[in-house]
Amino acid sequence: MDLIAPTTRERVRAALRDASTRRSPIAIIGGRTHAAKGNRVEVDRELSIAGLDRLVAFDRAEMLAVAEGGMRIGALREALAEDGQEWPADAPDEATVGGTVAAAPSSPRRLRFGPLRDTVVELELVTGDGRLVRSGARTVKSVQGYDVHRLATGSLGTLGTIVQVAVKVRPLPHARRVVVVEDGVETERRLLEAVPLPASIVATAERVEIGLEGWPEEIEEQTGAIAGVATVAEILDGDTPAGPEAIDAPVVVEAGVPPSKLDTILEGESAFRALIGVGIAWIGLPDDGDRLTALRRRVAEAGGIAPVIRGPGGLGDAPVPAIEVHRRLKAAFDPANILAPGRFWGGL
Amino acid sequence: MANLEAARRELAAALGEGEVLSEPLALRLYARDASIVEGSAGLVAFPRSADDLVACVRTAAAHDLAIVPRGSGTGLAGASTPIGDALVVVTSKMDRILEIRTEDRLAWVEPGLFNLDLGTALHGTGFTYMPDPSSQQVSSIGGNVGTNAGGPHCLAYGVTSAHVHALDLVLADGSLARVGAEGPEAAGYDLRGVVVGAEGTLGLVAAACVRLTPEPPAIHTMLMGFDAVEDCAATVSGIIARGVVPAALEMMDQGIVRAVESFAHAGYPTDAAAVLLVEVDGIAHAVAAEVREVEAAARANGVVSVREAATPEERGLLWKGRKSAFGAIARIAPHYHLHDCVVPRTKLVEVLGGVYEICRHEELTVTNVFHAGDGNLHPLLSFDRSEPGVLERVLRASEEIVRLCVDAGGSLSGEHGIGLEKRDFMPLVFTPDDLATQACVRSAFDPSGRMNPMKVLPDGARCGDFAVAAAGADAAGVVDAGAPIPEGTWI
Repeated sequence: MDLIAPTTRERVRAALRDASTRRSPIAIIGGRTHAAKGNRVEVDRELSIAGLDRLVAFDRAEMLAVAEGGMRIGALREALAEDGQEWPADAPDEATVGGTVAAAPSSPRRLRFGPLRDTVVELELVTGDGRLVRSGARTVKSVQGYDVHRLATGSLGTLGTIVQVAVKVRPLPHARRVVVVEDGVETERRLLEAVPLPASIVATAERVEIGLEGWPEEIEEQTGAIAGVATVAEILDGDTPAGPEAIDAPVVVEAGVPPSKLDTILEGESAFRALIGVGIAWIGLPDDGDRLTALRRRVAEAGGIAPVIRGPGGLGDAPVPAIEVHRRLKAAFDPANILAPGRFWGGL
Repeated sequence: MANLEAARRELAAALGEGEVLSEPLALRLYARDASIVEGSAGLVAFPRSADDLVACVRTAAAHDLAIVPRGSGTGLAGASTPIGDALVVVTSKMDRILEIRTEDRLAWVEPGLFNLDLGTALHGTGFTYMPDPSSQQVSSIGGNVGTNAGGPHCLAYGVTSAHVHALDLVLADGSLARVGAEGPEAAGYDLRGVVVGAEGTLGLVAAACVRLTPEPPAIHTMLMGFDAVEDCAATVSGIIARGVVPAALEMMDQGIVRAVESFAHAGYPTDAAAVLLVEVDGIAHAVAAEVREVEAAARANGVVSVREAATPEERGLLWKGRKSAFGAIARIAPHYHLHDCVVPRTKLVEVLGGVYEICRHEELTVTNVFHAGDGNLHPLLSFDRSEPGVLERVLRASEEIVRLCVDAGGSLSGEHGIGLEKRDFMPLVFTPDDLATQACVRSAFDPSGRMNPMKVLPDGARCGDFAVAAAGADAAGVVDAGAPIPEGTWI
């Protein structure tokens, strides 16, 4: 397949204008780390954003970083760490910033630091027909007009190519720790109630890993609170709980349900990492459509969604609210319908 | 005016006779919000349910009326100011808490509920609703959603959009849709994210599912006095640069401190050039460590006095000083124009100096009380409308302040929104393509252009033909969001 690798946004614009004129389907590619998220589609060409890889601005006193879409997460991590800060997205090092925003994966630390979407404050997007559109502001707070960046975040490259993003960053913690407990049922709920402000509580079939971050005295206080309600099996200083990459299975689903419904969707599953208090569960499955269908049925009953993030299976057929609004948005951003048509929810 | 009377009868039949107002006095009352613009209303309706909201939308469509949603009318940018014969939909009678579910860290509420009433209902649950605009005693959750409201504690916890899981919306075609989800992610584009802050132009909120946050185990509040505004602002940057993000970081200059003290008696130092209210929360040990950092940053910038709240009562008193600011300013002059813009935190000193200079030049009294940690300025211009020519000076100074903030790399608004007041400043920060795309977003939700027209987007911002043609919608769907604001709208 043809791969276009522009190094300027003008070339990104020209490539998309050209594809629109010829009505030739194209997929936007970053580090290919989140490529499994989205429905399978056939395209004529791919456009890589990896050539737009500059750190545009970063000032620790502003706690904002502005990066081009193709900048690697690993490179951004290093640049921010030099000034003692981080973007808590927890994507793989080889992922790109634009690709990560487009895929909007959940971080294992979402309990404490919130969803990725709330870190994106300004975004520049090249639409399907090659217009350059910016929204938001390079300030921590802004209400000015319609937040196109909200639509682009998680859009899986179906509204445009993310050529630049400004994200909120935060101070690196002074200390990190994972506390492992191996108690049985109901432990997670007790931990959630008893432990103040953990970064994460990740349940697997065998154990619970509590991620702690902050001042050294702070994580000691939290460790004490854990020991008060559960038996501590292991303490891993300097560590942070893993995400879906730690699941050994050909298919991984990122299910999202109201937090109290995690139990019901995990019944009978053995390979999972569930974010207690958040409602995200990464669930490993064999490459078996029936297992996926059954899981999706349970998730739907719990009021959630279950896109696949590794292996085949796509996003699933959860109903999309206000589908007419979605169609008009897609048509406004991608009038020739060339951006990976069909990859998104609702066949968009 | 026949259509208005027919619309009134239709609405009265659906909502109840007492729930629709059309008398001149009532129309006058609902012709403005808390901004300095005034329009005119055709009808005022008080829905009590989602069905009532649907009836409002259908009736407005049948009689070709614009719809202007309104919560408590505390908006400061004119987003709830109706123009022409609009139907004003007031949500104040939809004020129930529908459900509190701490196990899912969420609550469902109706749009007219006062922000503070939700906080009060949560007492004893261990959870709280974090966004705390200064108007929280009277501003509604629906209005907070419309303006993506902030507040002092949004520095650490994020603005309203970070606290809304889902919205049940009545769209312009009268259909109901749930955007967002009770769970962490929803299928489709993040419509929830774009509706929050859209100032009621994309749909009417029938119910909001908001995020509950565990109450912090420890809180430390302190008030610091400085001899120079610059020292106070430099302390703000110093705290952030030390890697500390307090729960709140609020700055007040001498003018506002003096007005507040004579009103609230909160014990603020009236001889200080500026004061900084700092609140740090979290786990006890972390709070202690961060207080040490905050104090070090303050000492490095010549802090003159530090008062620590030793008890919850003292904390309440310190906050009373901050939160009474807008009540106290009536002591300066009968009218005020409250500004709202955001600048990079490192530009605070420079921009603040510029604001004082602009107001000196226009001979206007300005006081400042603002969310310094966010870089969110609130210059407050006090004036007496009866003074000839004063409004022109206020508007001129306002425009200069906006340009100053934009030139510093800032945003037009941090939490009050664009409304009518700032829509024609939008081209200062956005290109025609940016604005056309925003117009497309709006028309994707509301092809009729009926929802709160003339707000947010400037005169001439159009979606353009390409999108509508591609979507197969009819040509009437092209929204010209702007249209000039009628003469006499500014008070």
